[in-house]
Amino acid sequence: MIRLDALSVDFDERFQLLDIDWTIRPGEHWLITGANGSGKSALAAVLAGDGDVLSGSIEGVPERVALVSYERQAELIAAERRKDDADILDVISEGTPVAEIIEGGCEDLDLARSLIDTLGLRPLMSRAFRKLSTGETRKVMLIRALTSRPDLLVLDEPFDGLDHDSLVWLQGHLRKLAETTPMVIVLNRFDECPDFVTHVAFVDDGRLPLCVERADEQAYAELYQFLHLKTSDLEIPAADPAAQLPALDPDAPLVQLTGATVRYTDNTVFEGLDWTIEPNQSWQLSGPNGSGKTCLLQLITGDHPQCYVNGINVFGYQRGTGESIWEIKQFIGYVSTALQWEYTVSTGLRNVIISGFHDSIGLYTKSTDTEKAIADEWLALLGMSDRADEPFNRLSFGDQRLVLIARAMVKHPPLLILDEPCLGLDDMNRQLVLALVERICLGSETSVLYVNHREQDRVTGIDNHLTLRDNIVA
Amino acid sequence: MANYFNTLPLRAQLAELGKCRFMHLDEFSDGVEALRGKKMVVIGCGAQGLNQGLNLRDSGLDVSYALRDEAIAQQRQSWKNATENGFTVGTYEELLTTADVVLNLTPDKQHTNVVETIMPMMKHGACLSYSHGFNIVEEGMQIRDDITVIMVAPKCPGSEVRAEYVRGFGVPTLIAVHEDNDPNGEGLALAKAYAVGTGGHKAGVLMSSFIAEVKSDLMGEQTILCGMLQTGSLLCFDKMVDEGIDPAYASKLIQYGWETTTEALKYGGVTNMMDRLSNPAKIRAFELSEELKDILRDLYNKHQDDIMTGAFSSGMMADWVDDDAKLLGWRADTAETAFEKTAAGDMEIAEQEYFDNGILVVAMVKAGVELAFETMTAAGIIAESAYYESLHETPLIANTIARKKLYEMNATISDTAEYGCYLYTHACVPLLADFMTSITSDVIGKGLDVTDNGVDNARLIEVNEAIRSHPVEAIGSVLRGHMANMKRIV
Repeated sequence: MIRLDALSVDFDERFQLLDIDWTIRPGEHWLITGANGSGKSALAAVLAGDGDVLSGSIEGVPERVALVSYERQAELIAAERRKDDADILDVISEGTPVAEIIEGGCEDLDLARSLIDTLGLRPLMSRAFRKLSTGETRKVMLIRALTSRPDLLVLDEPFDGLDHDSLVWLQGHLRKLAETTPMVIVLNRFDECPDFVTHVAFVDDGRLPLCVERADEQAYAELYQFLHLKTSDLEIPAADPAAQLPALDPDAPLVQLTGATVRYTDNTVFEGLDWTIEPNQSWQLSGPNGSGKTCLLQLITGDHPQCYVNGINVFGYQRGTGESIWEIKQFIGYVSTALQWEYTVSTGLRNVIISGFHDSIGLYTKSTDTEKAIADEWLALLGMSDRADEPFNRLSFGDQRLVLIARAMVKHPPLLILDEPCLGLDDMNRQLVLALVERICLGSETSVLYVNHREQDRVTGIDNHLTLRDNIVA
Repeated sequence: MANYFNTLPLRAQLAELGKCRFMHLDEFSDGVEALRGKKMVVIGCGAQGLNQGLNLRDSGLDVSYALRDEAIAQQRQSWKNATENGFTVGTYEELLTTADVVLNLTPDKQHTNVVETIMPMMKHGACLSYSHGFNIVEEGMQIRDDITVIMVAPKCPGSEVRAEYVRGFGVPTLIAVHEDNDPNGEGLALAKAYAVGTGGHKAGVLMSSFIAEVKSDLMGEQTILCGMLQTGSLLCFDKMVDEGIDPAYASKLIQYGWETTTEALKYGGVTNMMDRLSNPAKIRAFELSEELKDILRDLYNKHQDDIMTGAFSSGMMADWVDDDAKLLGWRADTAETAFEKTAAGDMEIAEQEYFDNGILVVAMVKAGVELAFETMTAAGIIAESAYYESLHETPLIANTIARKKLYEMNATISDTAEYGCYLYTHACVPLLADFMTSITSDVIGKGLDVTDNGVDNARLIEVNEAIRSHPVEAIGSVLRGHMANMKRIV
């Protein structure tokens, strides 16, 4: 059993792994994954003895650990170069031939020979190692590792740069090897995860926040989606050029509330509230339960009937002067738990996203090809491409939330209102929603109005804060 | 006041009963323009009054509420409803004298009183709108000649009218112009704009007449819609308990069974509902429904006859005078029934199980829908109207039972419908006593006890043919086709 206990490791002061708790039990095969720069390779390299331990402990690592990684590859090539530079003889060095590189440390010559043929390296055996292409070098590294009879095989992006045939062969070979040798594999692309992997470690910003057992299907699926959102390079899909919103005055506020008051016969929710939201200004609205956060939002969206008896100017409309509610809603994307409760239709996911173009719950008009294409781009971003026709009401709660956020954003509204978007979600789904919201904040000109009472759900990029407490605006 | 329908010659009666046309969406391209800037004043702030007002205001129209002086002074519920929703509230005197359109959304029994009070206050050339034609047709209310009289009747409870609008859709709506009161020829334009304002045009609008609306609406709600569902609920529940089935299961099977089986009806008519059954169960349900139709045909005819002659309405109006003594007594009796008092269990019942174990439920729906349709069309009501007032509305009423059993259904429907529902139930339960003794749990509660689903080919063909060739299926497939073009894509 390999055990990392509160382990912090420094890598040449360039990168640090912090406070890692991790246990690899006999019979387990791990996948390490995470975004670029998160520390996946560092964690893998620790198993091969790399880095300087700052604190904590690492125990139980077997003696023979084979590591294939870009770093190791680079080191070997650099070492070859140094040999060349160090050569004092005035002869042109060809460097170490491939055959010699492979044979050094080889414990299974028969296997080595067969691998050389299988990977098509036979014609290169006498060539200098450092003259190989990157892909060829990678193959040599793999052969070295596979033939060293390791007690633990650590493969960092082993499939990168391999041609199709080699890739298929390697996957098959690893599957067989997995029966006898424990493996830790680093992959950026989660969907390449080999079948024999039993556990997934998710690395984020030098830490290891999450380990998921593959047999836990739901947790595995959520992790898949999360990594997709974190790691895919898909853009936020564009708006529908055919459905341009009426132009807004760029200098006028999006929302202006003057002395806003919501009062029922027996209580006052808040009164005398002034609030202005300028274009491209994002706000976080917080306050305890019952402080009137949702009421305040509904005054803006027009869902609160008292919007007609308040001084409200939204998107250039003074409320109560003959405008229709659909003229207001066209400028707003809206997500809340209440909306999710109301969205009880069995419509497929694609149609739910398209309904955002029409501000409707359910879809009541024929959709255009452009609308469908945009909805499909959103599904791709969410990692749900293969689920376009799945009924919305059969989705998990967290997935529904993601789809509703996409629905709210599909038309690129000037104002996106997220009313407690993480409410009722577990940690994983909370991370998912925040990852999506952050992408939206980065990738569009939408003003976000983010409502919550949880401090830890802060979204980077929102600088304005309004707090409602006991009918007092702070 | 005399019954208006009875004052007309037969020729005119038939012409009015035969009015019903499904309107095309492009007939509503003027939107709410005919009402823009006009002062609309609602009388009655109950479910229809409040929710229609909310929709109209959200469509950009000017809506306020006229309440009686006492309601304002005592800050009654109607005053709270209107005020908390940010509407202007005023007395009749304050608001009606300047109103362009007055929306009378009070309960039927208050119509005469309300209309007599407000008519002298209304300005010359204004419009009076109803959501139900009872007052005009059954009570023969005469409206001042200069006033335009229209009807806009959303075919759903008020809460649904609002909920569908908020979703960006609407509910099917019936509109009509009272021909005797259309002095400026603007009745249709106003009714159309009103239907747009409530979102009804998105779900489909029927152009009908006051008479067709009243006579078909009364018939539908008394028989298949409320009466049959109430009767069936009581009989099926008691039978299951007699047969030793867990009452909690029986309660759940009935409470949600109507909704689940009629959902299939909504999508594909009686044919589709019957197709959800296995072949042997379908044949059994067909036979049960034929038996039910034979037993109940006279009862349906009697209800239709009493509606046509005005006997029903005069009976109910007598109860109004008696402070609703009968209605309130019957309502209390319903609350005491075993079905109503037994809570639904928390066991899982799969969607298909409601069909498999509810063969009699399906048979009752089929018999009720077909009989109501047959009776209405035989009485001169056009097939379109008969379809909407029978098959189309059954799932809507079934939804209310799913929510909170018969209490919810009777609380949601109008007092007029509730009164008719009890009349039907009191006649129907004894009529079916013998029939029910022949029923066992294989058709209600447990499902058919068969080892395989084999049936005789010739018999199956015969049964399928009979189901599919019923006239309610022919008009249904045409109208559902229209609706599908407008309706949600699901």
